[in-house]
Amino acid sequence: MKISDLIVIGGGLAGLMSAAVAASRGKKVTLLTYGSGSLPLASGTIDFLNAEAPDAAIKNLPAHHPYKKIGLKNIDAAAKFFCEVTAQDNLPYNGRLSAQIPVVTAVGTLKYSALVPESMDASRLASKKKIFVAGIKGLKDFYAKMLVDNLKKYFSDKTFEIVNLDLELLGGRDITSMDAAQILTGNEQILADGLKKLNATEDDAIIIPPILGLEGNSSRAEVKPQLRAEIFETTCLPPSPPGIRLQRAFIKYLQKSGVRIFENSKVVRGIFDGKKISGVVVENAVREKIFPARKVILATGGFYSGGITMREFENPKEPIFDIPVFFPMGENNWSNKNLFENRPQGFSMTGIFTNENLNPIDEDGKVLFENLHVVGANLGGSDFIFERSAGGVAISSAYKGAIL
Amino acid sequence: MSDTTKAIFTGDRCLSCTSCMANCPVMAAVKEYRGPKLVAPAHGRMHFSQEDVEATLEFCSNCKSCDRACPSGVAVSTLNMLQRAEYYKKHEHLRSEDMLAHGERMANLIRKIPFGATFSNIGMEFGKALGVFSALGLAGERNMPAYASTPFKDLFGRIKQTPTGKKIVLFTGCYINDNEPQVGEAFVKVFNANGYEVLIDKGFNCCGSPLVVTGFLDEARQHADNNVARILDWKKKGIPVVTPCTSCSLMLKEEYHELFGEHEMHEAAENVYDAFEFLEILQERGEFNENLKPLNQKFLYHVPCHLKSQAIGLPAQNILEEIGGVKVQTADAGCCGISGNYGFRKDKYNISMKIGAKLFERVKRKDFDKVISDCGTCRMQIHHGTEIKPVHPIEILAAAYD
Repeated sequence: MKISDLIVIGGGLAGLMSAAVAASRGKKVTLLTYGSGSLPLASGTIDFLNAEAPDAAIKNLPAHHPYKKIGLKNIDAAAKFFCEVTAQDNLPYNGRLSAQIPVVTAVGTLKYSALVPESMDASRLASKKKIFVAGIKGLKDFYAKMLVDNLKKYFSDKTFEIVNLDLELLGGRDITSMDAAQILTGNEQILADGLKKLNATEDDAIIIPPILGLEGNSSRAEVKPQLRAEIFETTCLPPSPPGIRLQRAFIKYLQKSGVRIFENSKVVRGIFDGKKISGVVVENAVREKIFPARKVILATGGFYSGGITMREFENPKEPIFDIPVFFPMGENNWSNKNLFENRPQGFSMTGIFTNENLNPIDEDGKVLFENLHVVGANLGGSDFIFERSAGGVAISSAYKGAIL
Repeated sequence: MSDTTKAIFTGDRCLSCTSCMANCPVMAAVKEYRGPKLVAPAHGRMHFSQEDVEATLEFCSNCKSCDRACPSGVAVSTLNMLQRAEYYKKHEHLRSEDMLAHGERMANLIRKIPFGATFSNIGMEFGKALGVFSALGLAGERNMPAYASTPFKDLFGRIKQTPTGKKIVLFTGCYINDNEPQVGEAFVKVFNANGYEVLIDKGFNCCGSPLVVTGFLDEARQHADNNVARILDWKKKGIPVVTPCTSCSLMLKEEYHELFGEHEMHEAAENVYDAFEFLEILQERGEFNENLKPLNQKFLYHVPCHLKSQAIGLPAQNILEEIGGVKVQTADAGCCGISGNYGFRKDKYNISMKIGAKLFERVKRKDFDKVISDCGTCRMQIHHGTEIKPVHPIEILAAAYD
């Protein structure tokens, strides 16, 4: 097996981003994945922090926060690189670090994110007079009436109209947004015709579930020019087309850049050479295989994806390299009484601590492996879900880990 | 590997996250199929009576994209195959399923007739022209794989080898034995060039993959028991079993154990190697013969699904790129759609071609000298969809040892 300049372990957003950044800099990269990563389950929007101006809020974070180690300059560069990757697949994203963009969720609430697919950017919704919400015949998990009832709470001054479109999706299984997006690819006219009948004007908006294709922006480009009103996609339950589009944009970028992607490849341990890692071991059904590397990025995620495990309470582990895991000791600190409270969850803070170079460190702050960088949800010390920073931490830590 | 890797135990790890649905090529091609998650992990464990069957189970092609997409290690496709076997305990098989499952039996019958292979090839042409295939439930659009005039197992005796202390057993699989013996010949040449004497074992059966996907699980079990016993015999003698067919190797290494859960199946599996996996291990040990003649050719490599599932990297690409002037570009166009005998069924033909469309488009760009793929049915599908005939990568390597 030939040596890779970089092996990335994990095919989620952080893993894909690390591989893309390193490949763009001419590195020979191997990406090892086990499972398809969580992007097909995700909204496709990238949150940096739940704040009106995420960049200003990042400056005020405590020193142990991963963002402080990554640095604002790298966070900014990561956002730019991310948008270049998606633009190459004709999947334009809007946004910047200094502001947030509203997105309409499937249930009609507004969610704010820093980087948003152009098709979901609902910034101009506030300036519209009438909002049409299109229910789709046979589509699972999209309830136009519920969406309208909730959205009215934000926009009480606007007129709403629910329309029901028959896109001829019936005649098979229960149709998800992913199925509808797949079926409409290349058959967009039926949707365009249905929406044209609304006679919506420039002063109006049309909200639809995210069914405009699974690759880039091509389905939207078919429909949008035929309408005078603006058209917005919502988020949805998984499998989620905006997340799938994002994943495909990255995978295409990696394939074009010569990154070798090996699926089903469960890394079980490293090969060590003092404080360096010289390779990783993949265990398949019958034997082990060594993948040699000059540098390794760990992007296996947190508890949800097996990047951190805990077989015994209060003894969390990082299962590949056995790196010490930061853990808020004591049952009372482990979780809040209620699922939703105005403070982080202890278990969600669990993860690996690093130095400025994202090298893992032990309790005394000493670097464990010089050529291993930890990125994404493996990082400890903050609750990415509570502070709404998972996507931002994923891409910016991946960026820094890859350029070092 | 513990026994909890047996497929039925892995079903409990399903979180219903839908990753398998997002990656299922059959779902993307047809809206009748309810998808991997709902068929095996959900309905497979939660049906309430023998009559309560999931009607769309028949759509699964066992390509294993769902298994690779699953973050929790659920053997989704194998669970589907177990469900299919349950279904056929109470339901009759179609004639087409019986034929497609028993390619080995057919070939053996035909070989007993003088000039049987020639006549049956002619017969297949006529049969196709007269619509007999279609009447039998086979895809009339396809050519059935033509029988070679001499099967590899008979041809093998004529190949002169110098006996050496290092031996391996070639598990030919049906397709190489009956249809493409030149792949077997290339295999022998490559392993001889690397100092290995190649043996064959006429006692091996078909690996059983065509039986499993058509619900003949009891017969597949008989094949497994026979093959596993023989592999263990070779293991005792310290002789590895190597196969250039990626569906055979996946069946021998992993699926027997997932389906039937016997520990000796796993013990036998440890003695089974994919051909290029074995060569790459030789290379890592510094034992690979690098005396290769430059070929100066560019290859488009369609990586079979059943190779991706094995988690061995891409050893064929690595090894072929040792040849002077060789560039191997992966097709990156997903599943070819044929998935063993799936695409040979009349009612699955269109699905199979729809899945393969992206790959056909890629191949038709013709920015290479040859298409390579380790899997026999993938090669047939590419040939059928593009009129460009792919070869097994071991045929390329054999040419470099001239």
